[in-house]
Amino acid sequence: MQLDPSFIWTAFWQLLGAIPTTLSITAVSVLAGFVIGAATAMLRMYRVPVLAQIASAYVTFIRGTPMLTHLLIIYFGLPMIIDGLAEHFGWSFRSVSIPMIGFAYISFSITAGAYMSEVVRAGILAVDRGQVEAAQSVGMTTFQSLRRIVFPQALAAALPNLANSVIGMLHGSTLAFAVSVVDINAKAQIVASTNWKFFEAYLAAALIFWGLTVLIERVAALIEKRVGAYNRGGVV
Amino acid sequence: MIALSHISKAFGRNQVLQDISLNVNRGEVVVILGPSGSGKTTLLRCVNYLEKPGSGQIAVGDFQVDCSRARRGDVLQLRRKTAMVFQQYNLFRHKTALENVMEALLVVKKLPAAEARKRSIALLEKVGLGAKLDEYPSRLSGGQQQRVGIARALALEPEVILFDEPTSALDPELVGEVLEVIRAIAREGITMIVVTHEMGFARDVANRVVFMDGGVIVEEGTPDEVFQHPKEERTKQFLRRITPEANYSI
Repeated sequence: MQLDPSFIWTAFWQLLGAIPTTLSITAVSVLAGFVIGAATAMLRMYRVPVLAQIASAYVTFIRGTPMLTHLLIIYFGLPMIIDGLAEHFGWSFRSVSIPMIGFAYISFSITAGAYMSEVVRAGILAVDRGQVEAAQSVGMTTFQSLRRIVFPQALAAALPNLANSVIGMLHGSTLAFAVSVVDINAKAQIVASTNWKFFEAYLAAALIFWGLTVLIERVAALIEKRVGAYNRGGVV
Repeated sequence: MIALSHISKAFGRNQVLQDISLNVNRGEVVVILGPSGSGKTTLLRCVNYLEKPGSGQIAVGDFQVDCSRARRGDVLQLRRKTAMVFQQYNLFRHKTALENVMEALLVVKKLPAAEARKRSIALLEKVGLGAKLDEYPSRLSGGQQQRVGIARALALEPEVILFDEPTSALDPELVGEVLEVIRAIAREGITMIVVTHEMGFARDVANRVVFMDGGVIVEEGTPDEVFQHPKEERTKQFLRRITPEANYSI
């Protein structure tokens, strides 16, 4: 077997078409995951009765099981629930009309949520309690002090970990092939299946993932510089 | 003007404040002294509800709250009438000196930005930081940070300012500049309750000195009464320990 460099190039161009799929899965799971994660973190930190325990169980279960397993459980379990409910309530909606990528969106959002929960929690813990007291001492409500004092700083502190999560979800999105979503990696397999040049095709896929990852790192560094401007000149 | 009556507070089984009552008149500067663990900081923090007293009443101006059934609205009201200067400054680290002072004016008092800005600049000039408006706390010295903290406390024009050991975290050479600012404010007739270990400052600025130990007020009086002619044995012991210079023979 011989390497065919020109096919790397050919495959590269064909794979570009799958970038939107990969990015959309990443973006949806990261954004929804952030919202879920922030909510979970708050429930746990404020020890909301019952909900905090549910949130903890969610985080340990999801972090304790593989992302591929989540996808398969959602893929096989969700239709049963939806169709069961639909039948019971007489809706016309059926699970077959959910696009395949929908399962990836839902399941990866749940996965990301659990990981983001820890990222958000660490960020919030990085803001010292004294500032919250200072905010309260001038009469700000809990919500005001969270929104204006805690969250902006928590976000700045969490950015490096957030960037890590985004990269993790970008790479994890390749698992969507299991429910026949054609992302960059799956596309590489399809492209190569006609001439068996898998090695070249996957190399091309790797290059694209690398490029996207570097892009994310760059953007994260830019945001970090901006958001963390207040720390410049200090100890850190 | 400020009336604390029968304030008690326990952390678990540790009774930190035992039925404390204290009145502070308008414009008065009250200094609270006492060994560590005597409850003086806790008492101060109870006044603006950073600690929730177990029982008792707090009255500030014409506003009164019963601690055993204080609602969230009461707590907010109380906090808007009081302000705190912290030992560790506790400035908002992602905001500049100016923004730190403006914050409460914008969010709590809901002043228009221009007005809040004008007032805040005036306050920062008053504490001698007119040239540092746009610096972040990380670029300010401890003394400068604490002066921003004082300006922030002044911004809401509270009925009383609570100082929690405002100079204990400072390098010795920076203590003077902060005390000078506090002195200047005291002369303006702003009511203050100060927890401090700066005896010279206490003697100099206080109208009244309160000595606490073991969660109770042991003795109170004018600085002269408490420092020169303490009546209680515990006060005498404490004063001997913190003013050892007088006993040195070289």
